[in-house]
Amino acid sequence: MRKYLTVFAIDWQNQFIYRLNFILWRLRNVLRVLMTYFLWTSIFSSQTSVFGYTREQMVAYLLLALFVNSLVASAPSNDNVGGEVSNGTLNNFLVKPIGYLRYWFTRDLSSKLLNIIFAIGEIALLYLLFRPSLYVSPSIMSILLLISAVIIYFLLGKLAISIVFWAPEQTWGLMFIVLVLMEMLTGLIFPLDLLPRWAFSALQFTPFPYLIYFPLISAIGRPVAFRFLLQSLFWVAILYYLVKKVWAKGLKTYSASGI
Amino acid sequence: MAVIEVKNLRKYYKVHQKEPGLSGSIRSLFHRKYYDVKAVDNVSFEIGEGELIGFIGPNGAGKTTTLKVLSGLLYPTSGHVSVLGFTPWDRKPAFQKQFSLVMGQKNQLWWDLPAIESFILNKEIYEVPDNKYKKTLDELVELLDVADILKVQVRKLSLGQRMKMELIAALIHSPKILFLDEPTIGLDVVMQKKMRDFIKEYNHRYRATIILTSHYMDDVKELCDRVVIIDKGKLIFDGLLDEIIKKYADHKLITVIFSKNNVTRADVEKLGELKEFESPKAVISVKRASAPKVAAKILEEFPVADINLEEPQIEDIIREVFTGKDFA
Ligand SMILES: Nc1ncnc2c1ncn2[C@@H]1O[C@H](COP(=O)(O)OP(=O)(O)OP(=O)(O)O)[C@@H](O)[C@H]1O
Ligand SMILES: [Mg+2]
Repeated sequence: MRKYLTVFAIDWQNQFIYRLNFILWRLRNVLRVLMTYFLWTSIFSSQTSVFGYTREQMVAYLLLALFVNSLVASAPSNDNVGGEVSNGTLNNFLVKPIGYLRYWFTRDLSSKLLNIIFAIGEIALLYLLFRPSLYVSPSIMSILLLISAVIIYFLLGKLAISIVFWAPEQTWGLMFIVLVLMEMLTGLIFPLDLLPRWAFSALQFTPFPYLIYFPLISAIGRPVAFRFLLQSLFWVAILYYLVKKVWAKGLKTYSASGI
Repeated sequence: MAVIEVKNLRKYYKVHQKEPGLSGSIRSLFHRKYYDVKAVDNVSFEIGEGELIGFIGPNGAGKTTTLKVLSGLLYPTSGHVSVLGFTPWDRKPAFQKQFSLVMGQKNQLWWDLPAIESFILNKEIYEVPDNKYKKTLDELVELLDVADILKVQVRKLSLGQRMKMELIAALIHSPKILFLDEPTIGLDVVMQKKMRDFIKEYNHRYRATIILTSHYMDDVKELCDRVVIIDKGKLIFDGLLDEIIKKYADHKLITVIFSKNNVTRADVEKLGELKEFESPKAVISVKRASAPKVAAKILEEFPVADINLEEPQIEDIIREVFTGKDFA
């Protein structure tokens, strides 16, 4: 346990080296919120409610999406693991008594903490600008959904990246698709219940809405059926199992072929 | 007692053949042709506690591959390997805490932070107790003389300084076994010497078992009594370095500088195998036994400014061993 705390501490220091990168990344997040905000403002200029969302609720949703996204999707592991496997840096870890995926999960957590601190500041600023009626009611349910989302996101990324064991040149291929899907289908830019009913129902059978949408609507106090928490946890279990299996196989291939 | 046992080790890499051209690459999508690269081919050796072995061979001989198998990074194709009683590729923490792999061309330090941070991380990873860590670190820092650069960002260190830090990071858990893969690569002669002195001292002080690969014969000459030579995956020599020199060096080199320029190539060619002739200098290789006689003859018959009798360079011997000249 202590070794991972140290990983956390060292990663924390390391993050401050690339300040400019970080600031630009945060800026991108804020710009996305602003863009979607202006988009929705123009829609709301002709009507007072869209699919049961008032203008205020929509703004609250988007602002909180900034927060939830910072928590869930801050994952440097997604940018690094593929490269480390394909260039052999993974070897540094395989000879040591430390778990490679745990190591990266810890570094992700450190990144999440820093991002959340910034997200809170940004939200405060945006709040002063737009003064939306921001109603937040975190419950046990929403916290569990959030934790579950963090884990699903991590596992999904590691599953996508594991292709690199068999195709070392593909450090980015599948990851890219997953990231695009994430932007579209998680509820980052609009509440998913705006989708046609059939599409929304279909999405519930993918891991995506459990990443942003469900934790988010739960946090703004909308009722979320208990079964969605179960389904979210179900995805954690399934993905955990898959990642374990696929990585064990991948490491076997890696150790046979010696990338 | 042998701490490292390698018996009939084979490691074949499966490589798929890339066919040239577009049609070739499409065809290979569906029907891949594989062939084996026999990186290590039936190699056996044993290493006892506290030994410092030179593991040498030309490029592509299979040295790094062997070290990777010994550290558990690669599964062998066949054969038996035991290190400290463990099977390396089981990757048991109890095993991992007792060895270290250092590759001159790879690094484990956090690039953007001072090296000391990486040491602290390794301390925790290897679960080294605080007082032991402090003691080991102090000793290593003193041996390598790096106290003043512990807090400098790794990216700002010179290659030699960085290599020293890599060594400390690799040794902070006091491993009993060290696999050093070209630890002196890219270092200048002064730094190479320091590195060698350190390795020697480490071996003595801690009775660490060390396998060292290097393309610099000075490393091997100075550090290793015993060498294991492989080429194209096959073991071609395992024994004392002196033994190869004795076995393979049945001749000596005579270097003469004549005081006049009238000595011709034909004159000296009669004396032995002419290695070099550039008037007024000649290098002649002669049978060890007849060396004194030939030297005397030269002094008698030619105008000599300087004459020198020496053992052949170990580089030359090794090169001849590598190129497969059969001395046996
Ligand atoms: N991952 C790999 N896949 C396929 N072939 C490989 C792989 N790694 C090494 N080889 C091949 O195996 C052989 C042995 O390589 P190895 O790296 O063990 O040699 P080496 O003795 O360390 O050489 P050098 O002195 O150049 O470092 C070489 O022919 C090399 O091309
Ligand atoms: Mg090598």
